[in-house]
Amino acid sequence: MTKILLRDKLDDCLTRWHAAGFDVVGPVRKNNISQYATVEKADELDLGTILPDRTLKDLFFPQTEPMFSYRISKQKIDTEEYLPPGRQRIIFGARPCDASAMAIDDPLFGWDYQDTYWFKRRNETVIVTIACTAADEFCMCTSLKLAPDSTQGSDILLRPLGDNRGWQVEELTDRGREAFSRIEGLLEESPAQTAALADVPVKFDLDICREWLQNPENFESHFWKEISMRCIGCGTCTFLCPTCHCFDFQDEGDTYTGIRRKNWDSCSFALFTMHTSGHNPRSTQSARWRQRIMHKFNYFPGKFNMNSCSGCGRCTRECPVDMGITETLQEITKLSQ
Amino acid sequence: MSIQEQYRKKAAELLSSGEVKLVIGYGAGSTPERRRALFARTADDAALLHVDASCDANLSGYLVTEGLLSDKKKIGIFLRPEGIRSVNILAAESQLDPDQIVILGFTEENGTISALQGTHASDFAALMTALKENRTPSEKEQALVEKIEAMTPQERFAFWQAEFAKCIKCYACRQVCPMCYCKRCIVDNNQPQWVHTSSHTLGNFEWNLVRAFHLSGRCVECGGCDRACPVNIPLRLINRRMANEVLDAFDHFSGMDQNQEPVLASFKKDDPETFIL
Amino acid sequence: MSKPFEPKIVAFVCTYCTYAGADLAGTSRLKYPPNIRMVRLPCTGRISPMFILKALQKGADGVLVSGCHPGDCHFTHGNYHARRRWTVFRALLNFTGIPLERIRFSWISAAEGVKFAELISSLTEDIRKLGPFEQYKAMIHETEAPVSL
Repeated sequence: MTKILLRDKLDDCLTRWHAAGFDVVGPVRKNNISQYATVEKADELDLGTILPDRTLKDLFFPQTEPMFSYRISKQKIDTEEYLPPGRQRIIFGARPCDASAMAIDDPLFGWDYQDTYWFKRRNETVIVTIACTAADEFCMCTSLKLAPDSTQGSDILLRPLGDNRGWQVEELTDRGREAFSRIEGLLEESPAQTAALADVPVKFDLDICREWLQNPENFESHFWKEISMRCIGCGTCTFLCPTCHCFDFQDEGDTYTGIRRKNWDSCSFALFTMHTSGHNPRSTQSARWRQRIMHKFNYFPGKFNMNSCSGCGRCTRECPVDMGITETLQEITKLSQ
Repeated sequence: MSIQEQYRKKAAELLSSGEVKLVIGYGAGSTPERRRALFARTADDAALLHVDASCDANLSGYLVTEGLLSDKKKIGIFLRPEGIRSVNILAAESQLDPDQIVILGFTEENGTISALQGTHASDFAALMTALKENRTPSEKEQALVEKIEAMTPQERFAFWQAEFAKCIKCYACRQVCPMCYCKRCIVDNNQPQWVHTSSHTLGNFEWNLVRAFHLSGRCVECGGCDRACPVNIPLRLINRRMANEVLDAFDHFSGMDQNQEPVLASFKKDDPETFIL
Repeated sequence: MSKPFEPKIVAFVCTYCTYAGADLAGTSRLKYPPNIRMVRLPCTGRISPMFILKALQKGADGVLVSGCHPGDCHFTHGNYHARRRWTVFRALLNFTGIPLERIRFSWISAAEGVKFAELISSLTEDIRKLGPFEQYKAMIHETEAPVSL
């Protein structure tokens, strides 16, 4: 016997959660784009999409965020802090790759400094994931040793039922249990036949890649130039990656008042490593592409024992020139064999 | 022999004879529908080239990659008609020497590809004139342009605000555009900071307006920006509107030849002025 | 009781014609509303559309750009370039929904003190009737607001 949540009870669940003070957020398709947004009613949720275009990181690490305002006067500088809104949220219908990515960024944002903005939101959010029964040609979670039903980063995992009437509920954390205790009466106990998970073939050998990347002789390999020749240096892959986390500070204002903002930045941008002196240590696109791959699959795992990638495939899916990490790691796998 | 086979042979010949050091064309992408830029340096590489209806990217942007043409050697490149216009503009703006560019031109009509005759940008003058005379948007595009023009200013503003609110400032539109070749874009300057870099709606609105303005009279309507945008903002509409404006007001159609004066760097004493008080 | 709306209008003017015309309005003791903030440039050819965007960004309700009549430019042809720029930028502003009544262009010579005063008066009244540029101000407020998610 397992716990089942039926689709037709979803609206009532939202009502209960709203009454308990939670905002409910989920995948929404609006204005030609699919992203995670706050919903009032269950029918606003687009739970059939394979993966929203934008990622879960929008909810924890907004694209642009004011940090504090400042006012400069003769004697002093007054500042006033902006803090995250402080709202309890339930994210309903995240994909396992997106949730895994949040768990990947936790050690990063808590490494040498506890990032208040990230953790305040993380601590106030319950993530309910839905396992994938469909994938497209760009998905590659399995290549990252994750799966369409990974539990990493998730508080509750829902497995779609074979007859599509709802989901089987798997409670994973206390936070998840607490949130689902609010909808106790709306769940059923019954035997469940879950639908088959998506088949996501493994596309490259991550261990072989790591070894190749760690070998110092390969740092200057001509491979980097060849593989990245068509990269145009936009920020699409980095901005649509759920684990990418680089940011820049920008003061917006005039002589005496302004607001300091934290904005997404991209290592693909030509000026990313431009020094004030005018020297740019990563002055070619191949150097920047190499950094991206090295960071995700060599340096980050070296520090945190996790790859900075959850295999969602958005980098390749959205890249205007059909790049993405899959091709690079496939070529490295081939090179090493 | 199909166009693809003809052109593969041609590219292989250009490479093995040493006439060009590189051929930029299209290769198979990560799915059957996708094509990606292919940089062929040998006859073997040339065998991987594709020339078909899925080859829609404007590859001319790669010609202004830093240092690519500085050895004065020639480069072959597969271009659709708008790509040839791009080469003319880049030449007119002194960004490249058209004598170094060997054009492998092709055009598409309803899925069928045909080869264009000519190899130097100046060989296509008649084609450029024909393009100017036969400017027609797709039905879908025309419908949306008309819908926007029928709105009140407030409605139009709300429409674009909703679109630009989606913008993530990834600059894919800029990077993919052959006409956006500035080493330091205006948005990258902070002394002064004319346009907000943050991606709140105001910053996005300013960015998209600035880019559209800087492209006025230069955009060749290849659709690259529209296709590149990961959040599906209908950028081609704005650029098309600007292209219409420079044509109506100044009879300017960008990319006619390598000596054409940029529309905003030139003037006529009798330019129209209907709105000046 | 709240204060009545006073339009904020930024005027980008050239030194040798419009600014001189404004000076003439002053020395002739002609009255015109104090709502305009003037920014003097050497020539309209120096005026970039960025300036107009910046004025709107800082909360202007209206913008005026003014210079020498065609043929009379102190730098010979700066205003010819400006004219082309204005035509193009105006089309862009219109297409994206910025009301054209808020962004005006004029030729005012050094001798046209009266024209200057009259233009500023009528422009100020027009903008007063249009009201504050609420749609743009809403975007500006968003930049100061905390993130909603």
